[in-house]
Amino acid sequence: MGYRPRLAKRMLFNRRGSLIGAVLAVTIGILVIHVNFVIFQGLYDAIVRDIGDYRTGDIIITDEDSFITRSDLAVTSWFERNPSVEAVTPRLSASAEINITKGGQLIEETRVPIVGVDPYRDIRASTVHTTVSEGSYVFARNSVVLGTNVARDLGGAAVGDSVKIMIVDRWGEEQVRRLVVSGITSSPGGQGFDYTVVMHIDTLRDMMAREGETGSFMVKMADKGQSAAVRDLFLRSFPGDDFVAETIEEASEEQLQGFRSGIAMINMIGYFGMMSSAFAIVTIQMMIVNGKTREIGILRALGARRRDVLVIFIMQGMLIGAIGAGVGTTAGLSYTFYAKETKMSFNNSLPLEVSYNWTKILQTALTSFALAVVASLYPSYRATKLVPVEAMRAV
Amino acid sequence: MGDIVLRARGVTKSYGQDETRVTALRGASFDIRRGEFVLVVGASGSGKTTLLNMIGLLSSPTSGRVIIEGVDTTRLGSSGMAAFRNRRLGFVAQFANLLVDLTILENVMLPRQIAGGSWARGGRPRRDALELLRSVGLEAQAAQRANKVSGGQAQRAAIARGLINRPSIVLADEPTGNLDSVSSESVVRLMKDTAKRLNQTFVVVTHDKEYFGEVDRVITVSDGRVYEEEEDGQRAPGPGGRQGGAAAAATATVAPTTARQRGVLP
Repeated sequence: MGYRPRLAKRMLFNRRGSLIGAVLAVTIGILVIHVNFVIFQGLYDAIVRDIGDYRTGDIIITDEDSFITRSDLAVTSWFERNPSVEAVTPRLSASAEINITKGGQLIEETRVPIVGVDPYRDIRASTVHTTVSEGSYVFARNSVVLGTNVARDLGGAAVGDSVKIMIVDRWGEEQVRRLVVSGITSSPGGQGFDYTVVMHIDTLRDMMAREGETGSFMVKMADKGQSAAVRDLFLRSFPGDDFVAETIEEASEEQLQGFRSGIAMINMIGYFGMMSSAFAIVTIQMMIVNGKTREIGILRALGARRRDVLVIFIMQGMLIGAIGAGVGTTAGLSYTFYAKETKMSFNNSLPLEVSYNWTKILQTALTSFALAVVASLYPSYRATKLVPVEAMRAV
Repeated sequence: MGDIVLRARGVTKSYGQDETRVTALRGASFDIRRGEFVLVVGASGSGKTTLLNMIGLLSSPTSGRVIIEGVDTTRLGSSGMAAFRNRRLGFVAQFANLLVDLTILENVMLPRQIAGGSWARGGRPRRDALELLRSVGLEAQAAQRANKVSGGQAQRAAIARGLINRPSIVLADEPTGNLDSVSSESVVRLMKDTAKRLNQTFVVVTHDKEYFGEVDRVITVSDGRVYEEEEDGQRAPGPGGRQGGAAAAATATVAPTTARQRGVLP
């Protein structure tokens, strides 16, 4: 090791207060980014996860008009032949009027969203069935699952109650069915079916007078990276149909755009935090330079060039950056690990989708390292401007 | 005595401008030969340290020339001066000026490292530094941090550091100024012994002339003017006085005809 790195290290490590202060500044900057990432990116990913799990799958197939007329079997068979696809399920949506008689009183709710599902396929392609907190998922044509908020609005409808559902069919006729509540569904995060009624798709088709028709197909991919390719292949395979096939990102674009802007803003705040760290490093290094004025004078008197002094203090910046990036990244990863292992949830309800984004982790560490080095440039430059004679007088 | 190591000609240093201009050194001219032990004495504020800074290349003269080992140092740039200081000059300051972040051994090795040497165990710089520390009686303190040794020991280490690159001249600014009498005597003895043993040139600025006893020459600085002390205690101007110029005008009135000829340019 040459004298410059040795001196840089010793000067820094012998001023532990300054070293700890500078490293803390970098660490906090990185930690802010990591915490932001865990919480806000985790929240974003949790929402994407729930949209995919409950509503769209990895690919959602709809029709340019309103209903898909091709048979379930034709579509599901086509997808299930593809090894990248895990499962496919048809869905149908409508709006209904629903009422219940509780304690001799009729309670009525209008414009309640209805989703028709194929219970045997749905449990493979979606996780809605896991959100049933009481009773069981739709298991028969006359059973219905109420969202927890719908059940509440219906005066506390419970499993085993009978509800009357009225839907206007394609011909404008009112179709009424009395169905038994088999379960109540409840899920945090707002993407679940808490405001929805789930029933058997055949019952709903019958009520809507749309035999054999489907609103959409949810496709769950075994290999999510193949979503776009499978989507394109599907569209090419049915050129005569008016299918619309979208990946989850495309289908949820509008919904996710707001979240993305929010995350970008939070990240900006994180980076501003990092910039503040850089200012802290400038201040701390200026303190080190001021405290080492005499030493700089001695070095210059002994023959060190301005360039050597510059290198010594830039090396200190590199040391601060490297240690800070290391400690900060370790702290950030520890927090991420903790969040993942404890299944950290947002607002004590929605479990965050915590992931290790190694590209971002590396990018954050390198950015903070670079900022620490850049922050050391000015103090280093100031150190080179000290006149040896003047500097040596500073005892 | 040997050949001429240092020639100062009309060295002047002024600070400020116009009405606020202060001249700290006025046309100093003198020569120093290899192996000489030269004391620079004078009252506080007389310009002794300014003179030392000029010949130590720590500050540039406003006018005049400082020629060391035939090199006109006033023509050197910042990097050139730094390299010259490193290779040709050794420094010993009043407060030893060791780097407290390094050990005594590392401090002694530092000028060699700046010149491009290595820290390696068993390497030449380390061997030389240990040899020097042995010669100044600090071998046992080699691994100690510089702030853990006494003032006298630090000053001895500074002398060893000043010698590591075998400089042409060792410049010492009040080397005993911060020491008790026992340490002062020990440091002076060390410098004089070293000068004799290595034929090393020393230029020492001091207030404590009595500690040094017999030396080769005494240069007196008074009001920025340089005189050489005669054996009868009189002052005589340096060679610049004989050659004319500002120094001559300034010093001719003191002892114009009895200047010692030693070190005077032909």
